[in-house]
Amino acid sequence: MDQLTAVLTAISHPSRRAIIGQLANGPARFLDVAKPFDTALNAVTKHLKLLERAGLIERRKQGREVYISFRGEPLGQVAGWVHEYERFWNQRLDQFARYFKDKNKKEKK
Amino acid sequence: MKNSKKTLELKFERTLPAPPGEVFDAWLNPKIPGNPWNMADKLLLNPKVDGFFYWKAKETSHYGRFTEVERPGRIQHTWVSPNTLGEESTVTVTFLKKGENTLMTLVHSDLPDDDKARSHEQGWNYFLNLFPEQFGDASRKRK
Repeated sequence: MDQLTAVLTAISHPSRRAIIGQLANGPARFLDVAKPFDTALNAVTKHLKLLERAGLIERRKQGREVYISFRGEPLGQVAGWVHEYERFWNQRLDQFARYFKDKNKKEKK
Repeated sequence: MKNSKKTLELKFERTLPAPPGEVFDAWLNPKIPGNPWNMADKLLLNPKVDGFFYWKAKETSHYGRFTEVERPGRIQHTWVSPNTLGEESTVTVTFLKKGENTLMTLVHSDLPDDDKARSHEQGWNYFLNLFPEQFGDASRKRK
């Protein structure tokens, strides 16, 4: 699996995006990462393995504790894969479509 | 001379709740949010065949020439910007009646498929902007 595929796989699951969101605020210990989830610790471990394989997190031992931190660099691969005009036109067209939806809502009132 | 440079084509579709004529007019009206002219800080726009446009937003200039303007079905113009590496690309927009709606299709073709044409910095911002919305929200929902 190339790194781009690994990154896309890693960010495709809402739980893993939630973990990234949490770690974006700063490093955390495993149990702190697992705390917001209702799932078994095993499931969280699997999510972390996929994130680690994609290079999106790293573990660092500090004394007796292991801290997990977020690494943003691999997201650059995904960013580079998205063409500037892909982003530009999608934003413009979404806004254009929203204008017509809002206009219709106002007219129905 | 045949252009041997590698190019790519991007295609986008949206279904809009209005007839094609209304959507066509809105697409060329700089006051309507979402069309490319609306975001310009400086705009010159002459949407007629062989009419030119120039718009500048966030210190980036875009130029083009209208090649087809057929109300209500089709608009085509060239598009030159730093992201096309100064080369002429082509934007074709079609408006097709679908019941009470319009299927709007935008094809941006002849784009140079080159790393320089891909904006890494912009891409980064795009993903970083997703953080509060997607990642942050997903995390909050679980608390």
